[in-house]
This record gives sequence, C-alpha cells and structure tokens, in this order.
Amino acid sequence: MAVPGVTHHPLRSRYEVVIAGGGIQGIALAYELALMGVRDIAVVEARWPGAGGTGRNGEMIRSAFASEEWARLFDFSLRRWGELSAELDFNTLFTTAGYVVVATTADEVAMLRDQLPVHDRLGVRSEWLDAADLQELLPAAAPDLLTGGVLQPHAGFAHHDATLWAYARAASRRGVEIHAQAPVEAVDVADGRVRGVIVRGQRISTPVVVNATGAFAREVAAMAGVELPTQRYLLEMIVTESLKPFLRPAVASLALMSYCHQTSRGEFVGGTEFKAANAYDDVVVTLEALRDIASKFVQLFPRIAGACLIRHWSGLVDKSPDLSPVLGPSPDVEGFFLDAGWTYGFMGAPGSARLLARWIVDGQPDPVIAPFGFERFASGKLISEAATVVPTEEAVEETQRDRA
Amino acid sequence: MSKTILCLCHDVTAEDVRRAVAEGYTHPETIKRYTSAFMGPCQGRWCADLVMEAIAEELGRPVSELQPTSGRPPAYPVRMGPLAGRPSDESE
Repeated sequence: MAVPGVTHHPLRSRYEVVIAGGGIQGIALAYELALMGVRDIAVVEARWPGAGGTGRNGEMIRSAFASEEWARLFDFSLRRWGELSAELDFNTLFTTAGYVVVATTADEVAMLRDQLPVHDRLGVRSEWLDAADLQELLPAAAPDLLTGGVLQPHAGFAHHDATLWAYARAASRRGVEIHAQAPVEAVDVADGRVRGVIVRGQRISTPVVVNATGAFAREVAAMAGVELPTQRYLLEMIVTESLKPFLRPAVASLALMSYCHQTSRGEFVGGTEFKAANAYDDVVVTLEALRDIASKFVQLFPRIAGACLIRHWSGLVDKSPDLSPVLGPSPDVEGFFLDAGWTYGFMGAPGSARLLARWIVDGQPDPVIAPFGFERFASGKLISEAATVVPTEEAVEETQRDRA
Repeated sequence: MSKTILCLCHDVTAEDVRRAVAEGYTHPETIKRYTSAFMGPCQGRWCADLVMEAIAEELGRPVSELQPTSGRPPAYPVRMGPLAGRPSDESE
C-alpha cells in the first residue's frame, strides 16, 4: 500500500504500543522504540504515510534558535540528521548547504545577536554574518534586506518524503507494523488509564497510545478526554521550475516572515507567513498567500521575477500557545502520550523521536525534552522562542482587531 | 526498455516506474513523489497518460481503476513577477 514498509496484514487485537499518525513524528518514534527493544508496535495512519504535514513542509533544518529549550532540542535533532542516511540505509538527501537567518531592521539584528551567547554556552555551532558577509553568501539577494544574520554552515535541508520512507522501511524491518487507511475512531479510557483504541471499527487493546496525528491532534486527544490547547493553522508554499543554481543555503528572513531554499534539482521552494488570522481549516490555497509569497520572494531575489511558478500547495500545522511542541505523558490519562503541537516538526522529528521513545520506556524525561511537557500549561512555564517565522498570538489578535 | 523515457521534464524511464512499484510505491501519488514524474514544468500535462499506463501495467490493473495524483494550482505556469505586481524580468 502506497509506500515501502506499510503492512498488508490485518490489525491484530493487541499491541504494546499504538501510535496514532503515520507522519514523520509517529514513524520515527516507532523506529526509535523498536531500536530500544520494544516489541509489538503498530502505527495507524488515517490515509497513507506522509499524506499530511510531512509531505508538505519546507524541508529546512537548523538548530540556531533564540531560546535555550529550542536550541538544545533542535541541536540534538540536527546531530541525528547527520546520522540518518547511513543508519536507515536510505538517502534522506540531507544536504549541509547551510542555513542562514537574516535580519533587516535594528530590532531584528539585536534579537539575532542575543542568541549567540546562548549558542556558545550550549555548544550550538553558529556564526554571525555582517552585511558584506551576507552579500557574499547570497549574491542574488537584495542587499537592502541583508543587515546581519546567523549562519549554521552545517545545517540545511533534506527531502521530506525520502526521510519518511527511510524511517518507514527501517521501522518495518525491525518489526513495526505500519497500517494505512486506518484512522483512530475512539480511545478507550477506564479508571484513568488507556485500555485501547478503536480503528476501522475494530477494538485493539494496548497499554500505550501515542497521539502523533499532526493537525488532528486536538481531536484525537479529546477522544481520550485530554484537552490539548492547540489549533490547526494553514501554511502555504510554492515551487518554481528548475533554475540555474543561484542560492546555496536555506534562508529565513525575519523581516519578510519567509523561508526558502533551492533544491538540488534547481527548483526554488518557499513559503511566507503574514500577520493574518488563518480562517481555513483544510488544505486550501489562497490568492492572498500566493500574492504575499510572490511579492516577498521577488523582493528578496529580484531575478526570480521571470521564473515560472509551477505548484502552490498548503499544509496544516498544530499550533500550541507558545508555538512549541507538546511532548510526553498527558496529565490525567496514564498511558496516553502526546507528540503534538508541532510547527517545526520535520526538522525536530529525528531528535524528539529518540528522546520521546526514552521517556516512554524509562518513564523519566531527558533534560532536553523535559521543558516541552504538557504541565507547562498548568505551571505557566511557557517557552519563549523569538527566532521563529510564525506570527505570535499577539500579532494574530492585532490583525483580527484591525480587520474587525 | 530501460531507456524508454516517459517524463521528458525529469527523464523518468519505464524502468524507473517498474523499480518504484517493486520497491513498494504502489499509488500514483507516491510514485510521483518517488520518481518525480508529473513534477516538472509540464506538471503531467505531457507525460501523465504515459506514466499512468506504465503504472497500470506494473500493477496489473486498468488505468481507470487508478486514483490520479493530486493536481496543484496554477493550471498553467505563471511568472512570479506579474503575481508580485511587477513586470517579469526575463533578462537573466
């Protein structure tokens, strides 16, 4: 069915672990659990593996974030990225072409510069580039946008589908059952414990359920009686025809709220975000976003004005109140784990999968993953990450007020 | 057979489709993603019939039973400049 590693066998009546969601999170987690010796793992995917956000994201990978929590988690993940192709025996096309976050205004420069001592302290490799350095690195970019930036020369991008297939094949070789067209319809909870799930009308008993359903995590959590404070959010991207190589590293621009890279085939791929409430709950594409994307990228790289855009698509992320993933056990239901709230889920998956697998097996979180636990919503210890290109709740509310 | 090109944009051959199916990519959407057929400048307008026939042959099913790949806008390639409200500069 559709991709390597998907089983043709019927669902069994009992597993040790059932992972809901066959995206990069769920399948990488299944692989890591199998590697730790866990047996009888099933991944149940509503459509086919990679049909959701995994096959729709921008594929970019970095660890130079502003907060200690993000920098540590994503740096662990970046190290895993370097190991995957050999370990999984499948080329993920991870390319260390570099990743640069570009600042234009004085405020953005100050914000990015503040990260550098954090990176130094944590051992995260990054370097400061001034305007001249940036012009050399990005000769096709408009110089007026390039005031300063943080470069990670060993970061870059990978192929999202190839990475998923790599994990899926490796997981199935270790005995993980990946079931396609197998949506979770209900979660069976009794006396504060998970007892099983209903999939395609069939009851499956299991002591551990992991919710890795991406944009549908809130609904699946509700099936277990867990109120997950996340929200579906639509992101749109474009790709052009293949162009002569003009851009080596992946680039994120804070001023334009955009991110892009040029693939090894020469296609320019990118997406932007704008300070607007996102009213769409399904994978539609909008003219508003298309115009935003075209005008920002023509501003950043004037030469692509003549390039043909050939595809425009969208995907859904699961946005939490602090934009950070929600990982680990749920507060009131024993055995119900969360792998949710992802907006940077592709780049984070290799790291989080390993740490979450350990948390599930050992019952204790590693310090790198611990800050992302659910209890932060009760304790108020939300994570403050400034170096993302996603509008904050305040910006969204501000726009909603402006529109009203 | 191995040099029979089905997709002129990305040089996808009949052998590539055969290998994709043998590896376990058995849906036009995942064969598209694995081989990159349908994903070039023609967006399948030129190659779709040939590729779908090759897939059908490998799967031993009629083309009419296959679910087509997801179509993506725009219907025809559009230059970035006009979308951005600027003239497209083709001097590159």
